Amino acid sequence: MNFDWTPEQEALRKEVRDFIRENMTKRLGGEMGEEMEEGADRERSRALRKKIGEKGWLAISWPKEYGGQGGDRMSQYIVEEEFARVGMGVGGGGSGAGAILGAGTEEQKRYFVPKVIAGEMSFCLGFTEPQGGADLAGLQCRAVRDGDFYTINGQKMFTSGAHNATHIYLMARTDPAAERHRGITILLVPMDTPGITVRPLWTVQNDPPAPPGTTYGMGRTNEVFFEDVRVPISCRLGDENMGWFIGAQGLNLDRVGASRYLISVHMDEDIINWAKESDLGGYSVKDDPAVRDKLAELWIEAQVCRLMTMRSMSIVQRDQDFTYEGSAEKVMAPEHGVTASEAISQILGPYAQLLNGSEGAVESGIYAHNLMGAFQSGINHGSVQIMRDQVARRGLGMPRG
Amino acid sequence: MDILLNEEEEMLKKSAREFLEAECPPSLARDMEKDPLGYPPELWKKLADLGWLGLALPEKYDGQGLPLTHLGIILGEVGRAIVPVPLHSTMTAALTIAKHGTEAQRQETLPGVSRGATILTWAFTERDPRYVPESIQMQAVARGDSYILNGSKMFVDNFNVAQKCLVPCRTAPPSSGKSGISLFLVDTSSAGISHTPLVTMAKDKQSKVNFSNVRIPRASLVGKLNEGWTIVEHMLDLGTALLCAQMEGCARKDTEMATDYAKHRIAFGRPIGAFQSVQHMCADMLMWVDGTQLLTYEALWRIDQGLPASIEVSQAKAFGNEKCEAAVRYCQMIHGGIGFIMEFNQNLWFRRVSAWTMRLGTTYDHRGRVARALLDRPGPVRLGESQYESAPSR
Repeated sequence: MNFDWTPEQEALRKEVRDFIRENMTKRLGGEMGEEMEEGADRERSRALRKKIGEKGWLAISWPKEYGGQGGDRMSQYIVEEEFARVGMGVGGGGSGAGAILGAGTEEQKRYFVPKVIAGEMSFCLGFTEPQGGADLAGLQCRAVRDGDFYTINGQKMFTSGAHNATHIYLMARTDPAAERHRGITILLVPMDTPGITVRPLWTVQNDPPAPPGTTYGMGRTNEVFFEDVRVPISCRLGDENMGWFIGAQGLNLDRVGASRYLISVHMDEDIINWAKESDLGGYSVKDDPAVRDKLAELWIEAQVCRLMTMRSMSIVQRDQDFTYEGSAEKVMAPEHGVTASEAISQILGPYAQLLNGSEGAVESGIYAHNLMGAFQSGINHGSVQIMRDQVARRGLGMPRG
Repeated sequence: MDILLNEEEEMLKKSAREFLEAECPPSLARDMEKDPLGYPPELWKKLADLGWLGLALPEKYDGQGLPLTHLGIILGEVGRAIVPVPLHSTMTAALTIAKHGTEAQRQETLPGVSRGATILTWAFTERDPRYVPESIQMQAVARGDSYILNGSKMFVDNFNVAQKCLVPCRTAPPSSGKSGISLFLVDTSSAGISHTPLVTMAKDKQSKVNFSNVRIPRASLVGKLNEGWTIVEHMLDLGTALLCAQMEGCARKDTEMATDYAKHRIAFGRPIGAFQSVQHMCADMLMWVDGTQLLTYEALWRIDQGLPASIEVSQAKAFGNEKCEAAVRYCQMIHGGIGFIMEFNQNLWFRRVSAWTMRLGTTYDHRGRVARALLDRPGPVRLGESQYESAPSR
């Protein structure tokens, strides 16, 4: 076991940190991340992404021939972590381009992956449907084969980023007669295909908008409707009806890593640093014994989240598969985020209810917005309950109910 | 950065597990709860022959000079198999002597430890159960070529079988400060020492030790006069990290036993382990022991690297105290009434983990130390970075 970074990795972290300090703000990072909203300065975002790409910091561990750097996973993690602190993703992720790298044709890899890395293409994830998301294998959106085409009909829900994405990474049912895990196909569908309608679902973070850096501060998600959407079979990722299995590793990777870790724990760092600098009318929060005990408890849990993330990254770096470790991390970190945001609300009392822009709001109301958003991390990409099922079954060999 | 065990560490763990599964059935732990020595000398000798006792000691003293993390792995397995041996107290004292003792003290104790001939322990607590300087009030007064010790120490592990004991005392006028504390290596057979066994939850061997005008040679001093606190703190951190390893191994085995039981125990027409409520308990148990293990390994690794580790040690113990206890509590619940019955084995693990959560610092103590490191030094904290700009103290 080795818990240290190499001198090269330390130097890389410093270089990235300096670059971010000179070139980025949380606001800009948010615009460039998933939370890209109307009115964002896309030209500026694009130029900055290009600059980051020239540094060789985008998708470091992905193969060079598809726009990555052919580097090591831990270096990528370092870069991801630093950029995640300003809300920007530079890793490439699991579902979408990550899955294409694993299961795509040569043509698909060459077409999609470099453009996704460069920020010219992006995927929204078409998993969840109105009937549910936890039981993903029960999805009903249909794709019917018709010669060299599929015709898609159905609806997806909570499709974050669908209003900005160029493509949807869609899970659709191609064989309703088959056992439910064996009738699903993944299609990579351009969002401008006729028959696709995107409607906004405004979130509790929308009015007022959550400040940059909020844990799940996006003001909008979407529902996406498919009406006789016709796409060529070249849009298919992997074999027909094998989508469940093709998607699994991508989903696993969505559950772990720098972003998932940081959205769950950055508030621990923030509240401690706030408490060290601030008081409330002479009440020194950091000297309150109950608060001190709670802050230490949160910090310690945050370390467990960090180490579980490092464990997942160590497994990925060794090119091994998760048994249950990714699922465990996906319970520990999201639940910590909820615990922390609730604890902070009890530390700040009535101030923690004040939203962005309010008179008297602490740190632009981020703790109030965190409290409204943190549970999201326990819902998406497999709820913590589903993750516990996986830990029990895969990690401990417990029987299905 | 690769925090998984490497090949060598995996092999060590596997061979330790196989050896202990063969040599140490739960009945041995049960027997030793009633044994006057509390450990089987023949097994202790076998551990010495395997090289475990000298594993992390310097080669110069017949040790192997292997990393502390290896010893942590061994203690994890010792906790797992609830091996009734005085390994933890001996290693805590031996490693402290190896690092801070005089050459004569090392020569006199360490080769004997490696050989299995010498058992060691350490003492700290008097009345105040916290691990803070003010807890130490026992006096050592210099007289001629000797020190005269007066006072008493509680919760001393394996004093009944130890040949030597590390004892921190006040050598300056009574105070509550860090200065004025000195550490002594005391022969347990010295005149004026008496001890009373404590009746403990784990039914292990702990004593209250009384020192009444105990005369020890000047050469018993470990480190510098009046400046022993730093050494004591280091000893406590080392002992705490090693105890975390033992506690985690013990809680993990208990978790596996409960899981196994849940797979076979039929109720309502199916194994109870097929119920999600039980599965989620088991999932939590696994994540809690994993979390304890990760924190513990990081602490041990840092100590081994010579890096400051007091925060990491406290993180591991604070988390382990609560979560290992919660895990073994769930194990009891999954076993139902059986967990309450002495003749079934489950309680052997439960009682040990519970007892160890109370040793070497409570959750509140350790969180207090983490809080001081985070909140009482200038400048911001940053996740994933060292928080040691100004080293925190107990």
